[in-house]
Amino acid sequence: MSNPIPVAFEEGPAAPRGGARTKKTGTSPQWRYTLTVLIIVLVLLIPVFVTVMLAFQPQLQSTSHSHFTLQNFSYVFSQTQVLTWLRNSLAVTLATVLVAVCVSAPAGYVLSRGRSRAVSGYALLLFIAQSFPQIVSVVPLFVLFAKLNLDDNLLGLAIVYVSSTIAVATWMMAAYFDTIPVALEEAAWIDGCSLFKGFVRIVLRNSLPGVLSAAIFAFLLAWSDYLFASVFLRSDSNFTLPIGLQTFFSTNSTEWGYVMAVSVVVMVPPIIVFGFLNRYFSIGGIGGSLAGH
Amino acid sequence: MRAKVASTKTGPSNVLSGLSRARRGVGLGGRSEHQPRPPRRFSNRAITLSLMVFPSVLLVILIYGYPAVGAVIQSLHDGNLVQLGPYVGLQNYWTDLHNPVFWHSVRFTVVYCVVGVFGSWVVGLGLALLLRRRMHARNFFKTMLLLPWVVPVVVTATSWNWLVATPSSPVPRIAQDLGFGQLLFLDSPGLAQFIVCVYKIWLSYPFMMLMASAALAGVEEQLYEAARVDGAGAWQLFRRITLPLIARSTYISWILMFIFCIGDFQSIYLLTGGGPVSSTSTLVVLSYVTVFGDFQTGPGVAIGIIMLLVSVLVSVILFRRIKKVQVS
Repeated sequence: MSNPIPVAFEEGPAAPRGGARTKKTGTSPQWRYTLTVLIIVLVLLIPVFVTVMLAFQPQLQSTSHSHFTLQNFSYVFSQTQVLTWLRNSLAVTLATVLVAVCVSAPAGYVLSRGRSRAVSGYALLLFIAQSFPQIVSVVPLFVLFAKLNLDDNLLGLAIVYVSSTIAVATWMMAAYFDTIPVALEEAAWIDGCSLFKGFVRIVLRNSLPGVLSAAIFAFLLAWSDYLFASVFLRSDSNFTLPIGLQTFFSTNSTEWGYVMAVSVVVMVPPIIVFGFLNRYFSIGGIGGSLAGH
Repeated sequence: MRAKVASTKTGPSNVLSGLSRARRGVGLGGRSEHQPRPPRRFSNRAITLSLMVFPSVLLVILIYGYPAVGAVIQSLHDGNLVQLGPYVGLQNYWTDLHNPVFWHSVRFTVVYCVVGVFGSWVVGLGLALLLRRRMHARNFFKTMLLLPWVVPVVVTATSWNWLVATPSSPVPRIAQDLGFGQLLFLDSPGLAQFIVCVYKIWLSYPFMMLMASAALAGVEEQLYEAARVDGAGAWQLFRRITLPLIARSTYISWILMFIFCIGDFQSIYLLTGGGPVSSTSTLVVLSYVTVFGDFQTGPGVAIGIIMLLVSVLVSVILFRRIKKVQVS
């Protein structure tokens, strides 16, 4: 994907401005801040570290920390359906991301460029959808999907996820499209491009960070949902990872090693995705596009 | 807002005129501003735009509109998940409103939202301000600080559980060593509420940090220097310059966080299940537990409908306010 507009848009609408990059003037305050933040990070991330630590520790909580083992992982991968759940989660999440991007990109364009009462109404609709308590839709959707044979089905789940990401994804897209000058599309229209072609060829092509932001958001939401998955999915071959993880608690004594090993499996994909793409991720701009224009 | 952003990218005059022309639907291709666009061409544009929003409107109606109607119907009937029972009028609502647990949940929902919004805002803004300082590995730290938001709630609820739940967990043991006696964090109502709120702040500060650092990025350093010359202290700089400049974005982040908090199901349910004795139930959790735990579909759905009415009302009011804030 070649990018005809260089650097100017690379950072996204709200990339934090790195503090003045002057030469080092006495390292002490700089190191002090670094140390402060380091300590804060270490304290705040204790729950994450704990998960990883326990996953690599042998069973029996009391044993010393020096033992390192992969036994928990080999157990959960060979004796439980973690691989199936991982596959299910990946399938649902990727489908959600793909559809959510395809649906919210054009919608975001309308929100960004549209200037009518109808667009305002659409903005309000999105806002209401976002504030809609999902718990209300769970029961009626369960009944509906049961009739359509979409309950206990990953497709049904993906449909629900797409619609629960739509509002934020659309705002993110719109926020990014806002940073792209209308003049560019106007030039394309003069050259005979239709409105839609102008959107795809000019706006969308230059909006990789906006698209990725929405995609990351959809990924995180779909990957970690518990509510809908817990209501819709019944057969354990259809479980997604969050539901699968919960099954480890149903036994009388929880085997924390296994639980944490599965937890690591659950948290690695979003961390990888976010780790690689976070420089594109920006949510700060959505305020500007919330209510339309 | 948009004109401001765009104008930094290209010349202001150019974009502004383009904007106003586009806004009036006044055309291109050499047509002068006085000649209105022929209606057919205009409606082409409208049709394309409508088609572009159509899929998302359809999904919203399918996943929100239809179930809302279904839920209203269900809340007026007896019966269970699969079978709709006889019509009972408003009796399910009556049951809810006379249930002390319901009012307890209302109170805790308010507490949870207030603490969730402002607690995470304070932490997030504090971290965003700290991250503006010159330091090593800033981007690495920033990414690390977002982890509570990136790691799925099922995972972090599990590890928080491990850290605090049983008497032999690390945090209660440390508390005991510090002389607080035996604290059962998730077994005593007050402490469980406290832990749930702290957990929510921990989950939500990354979002606030992102919103705050985006807003802070737009604050000019020179403003501070000018104020410093005039002898303003750090607190004054923050109070008189930083806060007013990020006010709009702050307001919007509060609203969004409020919406996230009030609809939040999994972080409470996975940490405490709403217990002990419903002390940490918000309305969402109570609704879920009533439907799927006590199998009282009618009253449970009715709780959802009450929430729905309140949320929609509040969000319409907030939406209007956002529009006003945006204009000013």
